Amino acid sequence: MTGLAQRQELEQAVPLAALFTAFLAVSLYGVGGASGIVWARRIAVEKRRWISDREFADIVSLCQFMPGPNIVGIAVCVGAKMRGTIGTIAAVSGFLVIPWIIGLAVGLFFLEYAHLTVLRNILGGIAATAAGLLIATGLRLLLPHRRRPAALLFAVLAFGLITFAKLSLLAVLFGLVPLSIAVAGIERARAR
Amino acid sequence: MTGPSAPLALTAHLALVSSISFGGFPTVLPDVHNFVVGTHGWMTDQDFANIFAIAQSIPGPNMILMMSFVGWKVWGFPGAVASAFATFGPPCTIYFASYRLWNRFRDAPWQQIVRLGLVPVIMGLVVASGTVMARAADTSWPAVALTIGAAAIALATRLSPMWMLLAGAALGGFGLL
Repeated sequence: MTGLAQRQELEQAVPLAALFTAFLAVSLYGVGGASGIVWARRIAVEKRRWISDREFADIVSLCQFMPGPNIVGIAVCVGAKMRGTIGTIAAVSGFLVIPWIIGLAVGLFFLEYAHLTVLRNILGGIAATAAGLLIATGLRLLLPHRRRPAALLFAVLAFGLITFAKLSLLAVLFGLVPLSIAVAGIERARAR
Repeated sequence: MTGPSAPLALTAHLALVSSISFGGFPTVLPDVHNFVVGTHGWMTDQDFANIFAIAQSIPGPNMILMMSFVGWKVWGFPGAVASAFATFGPPCTIYFASYRLWNRFRDAPWQQIVRLGLVPVIMGLVVASGTVMARAADTSWPAVALTIGAAAIALATRLSPMWMLLAGAALGGFGLL
């Protein structure tokens, strides 16, 4: 049997319940919004080994370029990759249904007690840690590109234009991505 | 209270902005704020700020939850459900269609070039959003150290992020940050 056929069989074998619970976990662990990507990578790449780091970086990039809450997009794409339409429904349901009910209840409760200092301090500690985890995930997904100077240059530019120049995300996306793709195209043409 | 057309107007507006929220839902928050606070006066500035802070700090799909709190303010539980669907429905359809299209051409040479160009920029943006979060969260030097420590441990080891988040919560809870 070829490697590809074996891999396809493995993909077939992922149960819908596993997709549901995996993205349920991603959703519930992902405190502070953007850290959802940390957990999606941890679970889909490291623990379940459904996809490689490279495929994960692809999916994140695709989702970032589309409108909407992009962690949901990761659930859509991983579900579609593993089991097609039904896989997407399983992954998105796992991501949304139970966490939405819990979140709505907890949120309405928090709105009552938002003034408590201890609660604020705990949330502050979580936010500081989550920020570090997010930085680490971005760096880790950049690792496969570390030997291309152009890739590092564009990563640093994207980082700097948002962090220091405070340009809008949209401006950076549509300004840098075409340039970066053009440079990659030239590199590829020269290598031939 | 608001008229019967309010939930419909809110749902339609959310479905529209979620379809054009390139770069993530936070990019359209200013518009949603104008719509619900300015144009319609369904809630105050303070309400909106509180809802944002809470959505950021609870687990789960937080922008969808944030819009559900807005829907809740306008029309109770049905409003919360309608707002949730309006926020994730259109983007999910777009994600699914574009992933299908992307996957069909996965081995095409042009796609490998797009990938080489796209991924580094996006990862620069991911690191930047971590830094932006850190700027808001790190109000003291111990908090800065916590952020750097968490990033270093996550890069050097495969320790579960949960232990680091618990440690961060404990440090914050004991007032050490």
